[in-house]
Amino acid sequence: MTAIDWNRLATRARRGRRVRSALLLAFLTLVSLPVILPFFWVVVISVSARTGGVEAAVLWKACAVLVPCVLAYAGVHTFIASVRARIIAGLLLGGLCLIGLYVLIGADLHLNNYRFLVNPNLIEDIRGAATIGGQFPWVWEAFGNSLLVALTSMTLKVIVATLAGYYLSRFAFRGRSFFLQSLLLLEVFHPWMLTIPIFLVIFWVGLLNTLSGPILVLTVIDLPFYIFIMKGFFDAVPWDIEMSAMTDGATRRQAFRHVVLPQVRGGIIAISVLGFIKGWEEYVFVTALRTGNSYWVMSTYLYYVAEDVMGVDYGLVAAVSVFYMLPSLLLYLFLQKYLTQLTLGGVKG
Amino acid sequence: MARVDLQNVTKDWGTAVAVDDISLDLKDGEFVAVLGPSGCGKSTTLFMLAGIYAPSSGDIRFDGARVNDVEARDRNVGIVFQSYALYPNMTVLQNILFPLRFQKVPRTDAEREAREIARLVQIENLLDRRPGQLSGGQQQRVALARALVKKPNLLLLDEPLSNLDATLRLSMRAEIRRIQRELGVTTILVTHDQIEATTMADRIICMNAGRVEQIGTPTDLYRAPETTFVAAFIGSPPINLIDARLAGDTLEIGDKRLRATGAGTEHGGPVKLGLRPEHIREAATGLAATITASEPMGRETLYTADTPIGSLHFLEATSMPRLAPGAKLSLTFDGADSLVFDAATTRLMHGVCAHV
Repeated sequence: MTAIDWNRLATRARRGRRVRSALLLAFLTLVSLPVILPFFWVVVISVSARTGGVEAAVLWKACAVLVPCVLAYAGVHTFIASVRARIIAGLLLGGLCLIGLYVLIGADLHLNNYRFLVNPNLIEDIRGAATIGGQFPWVWEAFGNSLLVALTSMTLKVIVATLAGYYLSRFAFRGRSFFLQSLLLLEVFHPWMLTIPIFLVIFWVGLLNTLSGPILVLTVIDLPFYIFIMKGFFDAVPWDIEMSAMTDGATRRQAFRHVVLPQVRGGIIAISVLGFIKGWEEYVFVTALRTGNSYWVMSTYLYYVAEDVMGVDYGLVAAVSVFYMLPSLLLYLFLQKYLTQLTLGGVKG
Repeated sequence: MARVDLQNVTKDWGTAVAVDDISLDLKDGEFVAVLGPSGCGKSTTLFMLAGIYAPSSGDIRFDGARVNDVEARDRNVGIVFQSYALYPNMTVLQNILFPLRFQKVPRTDAEREAREIARLVQIENLLDRRPGQLSGGQQQRVALARALVKKPNLLLLDEPLSNLDATLRLSMRAEIRRIQRELGVTTILVTHDQIEATTMADRIICMNAGRVEQIGTPTDLYRAPETTFVAAFIGSPPINLIDARLAGDTLEIGDKRLRATGAGTEHGGPVKLGLRPEHIREAATGLAATITASEPMGRETLYTADTPIGSLHFLEATSMPRLAPGAKLSLTFDGADSLVFDAATTRLMHGVCAHV
């Protein structure tokens, strides 16, 4: 038997690992570019565009600074194992980046497009009150309404889906499988197909032109899916833990609250995030269920900023867009670990 | 601590009968094992005692009072589930405190009691951990502490040792027995492991297909198994059961005839002869046998031999196999050790013995 050159094999394995991770990074960068670029562009426009026009020059200059920095950091991450060194390199590159940006585009940056946040009479100032009849609200009113719609429908969804999911997971009752199947059947129809009947129902119950209309509709159309998700999470909680709590002296409700509920926390957070974002970004039903401008939410506000004013101010539209997507983005960033659990829970169910 | 009675208890789900008309009574402070293969209804019996299932018919009594309709939470029964069923969102201490929370025990007293019981099961250094950070043996001790902290009327153990490795199982067996004696709590252990049952329990209830086969001390079940099922289930390596025919004072096995003695031999017919491997030994005269296999089992060696009455397993207390396959010898057994069962009813024919 010939002697094995362990060192050579080890070197080859190390090199292979590096090449693989470098390729992976390159691939991911390439794939995420078309996703990130539009968002980045919106942000750039919102802080650089002057009234009337958009210049791509700022975007390219910013890219000219950022892309080499990102690539350099990718290199650092691939070839340097020490976490300390990585952090130092990251800070250095970040600093370089800031200096580069300041030198190249610092003069073009301004916050004037964000004036809608502090100026209640934004459109009137530009076009004169006569243009739109003075009906265009301050952004904070729309913001408050959107928050109300999102939070209320989220709360309703979470409460109903949690209780229904628990019941479906734990109790056998007549028609249970029929109920589960019809829940799935509802998912087949896109809610937009139901816009006209929904409009009529809301009209008859007298909720047209109130925020309660879209809140209820949004809650109801998402519920089947959320109930399924929660049922999956409850199915994954072992039965004997609950029985153990009940022999320990808890009532069924106490067992649910103290023992079962803490274990589906991930599911509750996940559907809360989804439910909030769904209500936050809703456009179709908030538009369909009002006649005239009885209420404003962020999506309709953005729409009117973009469409209703003659001659679009792209800087303003971009700034509103950035403001609009900030809450969803922050929620996603901080709670994404729960959203990835969602698929797990779903598979189990 | 309580006396527990089951009277004609049956549990069925429609046509599926899990527990079929069982009756037992447990003395205060007794340790009883319910032994049987999986699916024999032993866990169902346990859950009926705990109040998780309601019996379809029959009565369950604690200290003479009927508790059929008493909710699980009011029965004050401690239960250790096979999976331990610890609350993963709570620390060990919170787990042990959980039952006391519903008994309105003042916080300081509760904590003192929890620490006392933790000391008893030797987990006082783990109180701040979460169940996920514990080993199987430690989780089991926590489950035991949680079941015991409420001073239960009845302690139920559902296969508590089946998830532990062999060495740990051995020490936990003694440990659970020690704790049970110390607290004097009436205990029911459900297990499919005969060693667990015979080593730990004062009495064993052997169950099969929802019915009680025999209730007795471990020695009773070994010396005088009431049915072939009990005979086959108790004892390791398992008993030899040989089809035979009883005709007066002879036992016909194929062409071979053995002598049969005792009252009841006149009721002839098909029987089964039970011979435990440890009761068969080599002798100058007896059944002519040829060794076909030998398995060293550590302290003993298990042989398989072809004899005129069929293939027999027998044990020899030698650690080194003495006989190689092919070796010829004569085997014998004492008539008093032999067991004869009626083949039709599978029941033991008391007093009937077979002799070589």
